[in-house]
Amino acid sequence: MKNKKKLKHWIDFTMALTEREIKSRYKHAAFGFLWMVLNPLFQMLIIGFVFQFFIKFEIDNYFEFLFSGLLAWNFFSLSFSKAVPIFVNERYLIKKAIFPRESLVISVILSNLFHLLIGFFLFALLTMSFSFNMIWLPLGLFLLLLFTIGISILFSSLNVKYRDINFIVQAMLALWFYATPIVYSLDMIPESLGMLIYLNPLSFIVEIIRFSLSSYPISDVPIKLGVNLLISSIIFILGLVVFKNENKNFDDWM
Amino acid sequence: MKKKKKSKAIVINKISKEYVLHHQKPTFFGTIFGLEKRQRFFALKDVSLKIYKGEKIGIIGSNGSGKTTLLKIAAGITTQTSGKIKAYGKVVSLIELGAGFHPELTGRENIFLNGLVIGMDKDEIKKKYDSIVEFSGLGDFIHSPLYTYSSGMSLRLGFSIAVHSNPDVLILDEEIAVGDEKFRKKSMKKINEFSRKGITIILVSHWLDYIRKNCNRIVWLEKGNIKADGGEEIIDEYVDFLKKAGKYYYVI
Repeated sequence: MKNKKKLKHWIDFTMALTEREIKSRYKHAAFGFLWMVLNPLFQMLIIGFVFQFFIKFEIDNYFEFLFSGLLAWNFFSLSFSKAVPIFVNERYLIKKAIFPRESLVISVILSNLFHLLIGFFLFALLTMSFSFNMIWLPLGLFLLLLFTIGISILFSSLNVKYRDINFIVQAMLALWFYATPIVYSLDMIPESLGMLIYLNPLSFIVEIIRFSLSSYPISDVPIKLGVNLLISSIIFILGLVVFKNENKNFDDWM
Repeated sequence: MKKKKKSKAIVINKISKEYVLHHQKPTFFGTIFGLEKRQRFFALKDVSLKIYKGEKIGIIGSNGSGKTTLLKIAAGITTQTSGKIKAYGKVVSLIELGAGFHPELTGRENIFLNGLVIGMDKDEIKKKYDSIVEFSGLGDFIHSPLYTYSSGMSLRLGFSIAVHSNPDVLILDEEIAVGDEKFRKKSMKKINEFSRKGITIILVSHWLDYIRKNCNRIVWLEKGNIKADGGEEIIDEYVDFLKKAGKYYYVI
């Protein structure tokens, strides 16, 4: 009974923070929600232009290929880069009140998930590519969430004590973008790299999202899925352990 | 319901809190490569204190004596390095009113957010919403965004939410003197009403007259230790101590 009440409070609280996150982002923007569609659209046009006309990649429907990858990547990078400094940015709250602090990280991710879902919907509407493969989308989303939440909790907890973590993360993200098959496809990279690229959980996630949205081929699913789940789970558990340890003393480092 | 004469509210057992002094924030690289030296000090050392239901405790002591650290541990905002603490019931701290207020959201939206922050649930807030607004005296301003509020107005709103949260222990600091004279009277009345209901009040202040008037037990902290624990006479001892140390100028 007490646990049920606690859970309900946790959900209410996380949802309220998510709502705050979404509302405050668009409250003063004239076109409101249009911006969140325009951003990835421009990004896709620019990147697509470069890789289609200057460096010729031979991928069918390159813009479609690019956009589905960018949707997943933007979700990840926006969530991760905003979540890492969140405990520090919300220090006035943390120093003054006791509440489930992990909700701060979760709410950033949920508000981006909200945008991602709208993005998926628009994508399906624009490309008109509905297929049976779409039943795989929830799996892709689950993996994406598991990994994003895990790594965000881990690094945001570390960032409270070690403030240079935030800089490391921002630098890492720039490299990470190119380490993930977003602008290129996996059959362009040398065989010798092989499974190595799947040590980056985002590789498989982007692949499976692409498969479900626009039927780009995918192979060796069981082993890739296994590797992905293993890595994501390790990071997730590590994140929880570090958070649990550091959380007690967040206030001391603010 | 059986009512014991002295049931416990918070039991603090040999609590110490050690802080790392940071002239510089630690860095990840610095720690890995061992480039940083840490200096440590104790903000609290082996402090034990039993607080009973319905007590109005005033905590006094000079700056840096560990008052805030003690309250933060009691409220669960930070954790002790060693020792044990047990709180019976819900502890709500008013160390800062209006924690988590968001300037872009309206008063109404902020009531829900802040209420959740201090541990109320949604239905509870809905039920008490009208009463919260009324007590804050904000009227139609409740539908305007917070950045249009004066600082007094947001404090009033914060106080109003906090007193509606059904605490068992209420921690207050200097800011109890919020708003104008009228609201101040109203809030003091509320605090006294709480204490009659058996809610424990812990008060931290340099405002000794206020403590003298409102508290029935005084705890004097000095350098992380409890120097004295008792009634009103402690305040006089404290004033003597300050006079001797030549620090009495700020107490009127």
